[in-house]
Amino acid sequence: MQLKKTDLTGALKILAADASVFVPGEIEGIKRFVLWDGESDVDLGGANTQLPPKDILFPCTEKMYNYKMGDSIEIKEIVEKPRQVIFGIRPCDMRSIDCMDHVFLEKGFVDSYYSRKRENVTLIAMGCTTPERTCFCDSMGLDPNNAPNADVMMNDGGDTLVLEAYTEKGKAVLEALNGLLSEGGQAKKDTACTLKVNMTPELPEKLAGMFDHPIWDEVTRACIGCATCTYVCPTCYCFDIDSDNHGAEGTKFRCWDSCMFSDYTRMAGGHDPRPTKKERVRNRYMHKLSYFHERYGQHLCVGCGRCVEKCPAHMDITMFIDKAAEV
Amino acid sequence: MGEINHECTCHGNPLVPQVVKVIKITQETPDVKTFRMQTPDGKKPFAPLPGQLGMISVVGVGEGMFSITAQGEDWIESSIKKVGMLTEAFHELAEGQEIAIRGPYGNHFPVEALKGKDLIFIGGGIGLAPVRSLIRYCMEHREDYGHIDIVYGSRSPEDLCFKEDLFQNWPKEKDTRVEITVDRGNETWEGNVGFVPAYVEELAFSPENKKVILCGPPIMIKFTSEALVRMGFAKEDVITTLEMRMKCGIGKCGRCNIGSKYVCLDGPVFNLAELDELPDEK
Amino acid sequence: MSSIIEELQSTVKKLLEDGTVGYVIGWGATRFPDRTTPVFITRPEDAHKLVWNHYCVNGTAKYALDDRYPEKKIGIIIRGCDSRAVNRMIQDNQLKRENLYLIGIPCDGKENPVCEGCQHKNPLVYDVLIGTPVEEKINPDRFKEVAEFEKLSQDEKYEYWAKQYDKCIHCYACRNVCPACNCKECYADQYRVGWQGKQNNRNSNQVYGLTRAFHVGDRCIECGECERVCPMGLPIMRQTKKMLKDINDLFGDYECGLNDSRPHVLGEFDLQDRDEFM
Repeated sequence: MQLKKTDLTGALKILAADASVFVPGEIEGIKRFVLWDGESDVDLGGANTQLPPKDILFPCTEKMYNYKMGDSIEIKEIVEKPRQVIFGIRPCDMRSIDCMDHVFLEKGFVDSYYSRKRENVTLIAMGCTTPERTCFCDSMGLDPNNAPNADVMMNDGGDTLVLEAYTEKGKAVLEALNGLLSEGGQAKKDTACTLKVNMTPELPEKLAGMFDHPIWDEVTRACIGCATCTYVCPTCYCFDIDSDNHGAEGTKFRCWDSCMFSDYTRMAGGHDPRPTKKERVRNRYMHKLSYFHERYGQHLCVGCGRCVEKCPAHMDITMFIDKAAEV
Repeated sequence: MGEINHECTCHGNPLVPQVVKVIKITQETPDVKTFRMQTPDGKKPFAPLPGQLGMISVVGVGEGMFSITAQGEDWIESSIKKVGMLTEAFHELAEGQEIAIRGPYGNHFPVEALKGKDLIFIGGGIGLAPVRSLIRYCMEHREDYGHIDIVYGSRSPEDLCFKEDLFQNWPKEKDTRVEITVDRGNETWEGNVGFVPAYVEELAFSPENKKVILCGPPIMIKFTSEALVRMGFAKEDVITTLEMRMKCGIGKCGRCNIGSKYVCLDGPVFNLAELDELPDEK
Repeated sequence: MSSIIEELQSTVKKLLEDGTVGYVIGWGATRFPDRTTPVFITRPEDAHKLVWNHYCVNGTAKYALDDRYPEKKIGIIIRGCDSRAVNRMIQDNQLKRENLYLIGIPCDGKENPVCEGCQHKNPLVYDVLIGTPVEEKINPDRFKEVAEFEKLSQDEKYEYWAKQYDKCIHCYACRNVCPACNCKECYADQYRVGWQGKQNNRNSNQVYGLTRAFHVGDRCIECGECERVCPMGLPIMRQTKKMLKDINDLFGDYECGLNDSRPHVLGEFDLQDRDEFM
C-alpha cells in the first residue's frame, strides 16, 4: 500500500486521534523525536535524530512509586500505560528496541514499567535513505532499508511512502489509514552505509579473550569520562534508582545512569571494581560487542554512529572494532 | 554455579517493595545489627533459599541489597554492617518501625548438590551472614549432610557476629565442630589468634568428599582460596559469594556485571572454577 | 604547515629518545580528515602519528590530571589556550610545573567558533617552541554578545535559559573537559550527600549549570571547550563570559591563566575593592 506524502499530515491526524504520536522534529536546534503538534511537517529525511527515541519507552527520569513515611509506611505503585506511536523510527533505532526487549522482558524478571509502555506502543518504521558518514549499521548485521520488528514498515517511494504491515498492530494502522492509502508503489530499498567496519562474526568471542590485552591502555586514554556516548546511544539502558522526598512523602524514581561515571560501581565501603576510565571504557566496549552477545545472542551496538559523532574526544568505536579485529 | 530460583513474590512489579515491620533488632557487634522482619499482618515476606538476597529499604533514604541470613516460620532476618549513609539509617531504626523489602533475588547455594557431603563453612567478619543461612538450612536438614566444620574469624573478639550461634547453638548440633579465630585477641580471649587463611591451613582439612562454603572480605577470600587449592581442594568444590554495587536486583540496571554475568541475578553464589571463567574485575 | 609538522614530530621523537619525557600528549588522525583525536605518544617511532592541522580542536592539558605523579615528565603539545589551561591547573595546585615538558606551538585558530575571538594564539609558557609566533589581536568584541544579552528582560532571560537547560542531558562533558573544573571530587558527583540528583528536570539542570558557572567563576580561561563538547549545543560560554564581564566591570581588565602565579580576583581581598553589593 502507499500513502501520498501530501497526505502525511492527514494520516498523522488519524493516528493522533487516540495516541501520542512522536515524529522526528527539532527542539532548540537539536533533531530528536518530538510529540507531533497536529500540523507540523515531519522531517523523515536528512540525518537521523541526534538523540535516539529510547526515552519514549524508557524515560530518562521515570517515577516508580509514591510513598508515605512515618509510623506506618504506605507504598503506591505508579502505573502508566500510555498509547503511543513512534513514527519514522529508523532500522538502527528499531534494532535498539529489540535489544531493550531482551533486557527488560527476559531472563527471569519482566520490568513492568517498560513492558506497559512497550505493549502499548505502535512502531511505524522508516527505511533509511540518508546514512551519515558515521553510520555503519549494515556492518553490524542490520539492513538500513528494513526493520523486521516494526509494526508497519515504510519505505520511500518518491512522491509516496510505501507501507507494509508486519504485525496485527500494523494491520490495524493500515485499516485506520485505509481512506488515504492506494494499492501499489515502488519503494527504494537500496540504501547502504559508506562506512564499512570489520565486525567479524568471531569478534565477540575474540574480545572475551582480550580482557587483559594492551589495546585497552591505548584506546581508552582519550576518554574524558563524560556520559555523552551512553546518553546518545539508543541501546545503553543502565539506570539508577533514587528517592525524591517532600516532607513525609516522596517518590521513588529511576533515571538513566552511565557506566562512564566515577561512582557507578563504587560500593558503600569505597571499593570500586572499575576505578579508572580504562576499566570503564573497556566494560562499555565489551558490553556492546561481546558480553551482550554472549548473554542475548546479538550485538548491543546497532551502528547508528551517534557516539562517534558526539564524543567530545572524538573516540570512535568503529576504529576500535577494526583494530581489535586485526590484533 | 548455584541453583536459580526466580519466583519473585513481589505481586507483579518486581521493583516495588512490600512494607515490613522490624520486630526484633540484635546488636551483634559494635557495628553489626541483625534485623528481624515481618509483614504488618504477621507473615513472612517471602521464603528465600539459602544465599538469596533481599533489596531492603529505609523508605525515603535508600535501598540496599543484603543477604537474608535466617528465616523462621513467620519472619526473615538480615544482618547489616554500618559502612555508609544507608546502613547508618538502618542502625538508627527501632523495633516496631516499618521498612520495605523486595526479593528474593539471585541464585542460592546448591543445597541439592551438597547433599551427602561433609561441609566446611569458612566465614570472615560480616561474611558469616550469607553462610549462616546455609548453616541453618543444613542444621534443619541435618540427616542430608555429613560432618560439618564451621571456621570463623573476625578482627577481634568484640567483632564476632552471631555469638549465640557460634558459642551455644551450633557446637551442640550433632557431628558439628566450630573453630573460631581472631586477628587480635584481648585479655579474656582464650581461643585461637591468627588470620583465617593460616588457621584453615593449620586445621589441615583433607579434601575428600568435602565441599567448602567461603565468605568474607575480598582479601580473605583470595588468600583462603589459595590456601584451599594448596591443600588439594578442587576449585569446583569451593563455593563463595560475590558483592557488587546493585540497584535493581533483577539483572536490568547494568552495574553489577562481571563480564556477561550479573551478580544480582546469576550470582551471588559462584564456585572458584566459575569465577576463573569471569574477567578479573571484582 | 608541513615543515611545522616535521619540526613537531622530530622534536617529540627526540624528547622520547633522550628520555626527557615519558610520553607526549598531542593530536592524531581519525577516520575523518576534518577530525582529530587526542593521542598519547610513548615510543619515538610513533611520533609520526602526530598531526597538526586546522582540526586540532581538543584541549590537551587536562589529560595531565590523569597522571598526577608521573615517573618522567609529561610532554604536552600546547597552543595558547592549552598554555593558559596549564597555568590554570598549576595555579590551582593540581599540577606541578616540574612534572611537565611544554611543547608550545603558535596557533592560527581552529575549526571552532571560539577561536575567532582568541587573544592568545601563542603559548604563554613553554619549554620549546615549534615554528614562529603569530600576531596577536585584541578582541574588541570580547563581551559584545553578553552585553547584548544583558539588555533582555529578566523574564526573557529566564525563558531563554530554561529552554537551553531543558535540553541538558547531564552528561557532564562540559565539566570533565574544563581545565578549571579540577576538583578532586565534584559536588555533582557526591550523590550520597545529595547536592545534585541524577533526575533530569529543569530545576536540577539549571542548578548544575549555575553552580558550575560560579565554581569556574574567575578561573575560566575562555578556551570554549565546554561549549564545543556540549552534545546538546548549550551556549555555556555565555554564562562564564557573563561572570568574566562582571569581574572586568568591577575590578578592571582581567584574564585568567596568563601566568601561574597571579592570584585569582575572587581569591584575594583588597580594601580598595568595590563593595556596593554588600
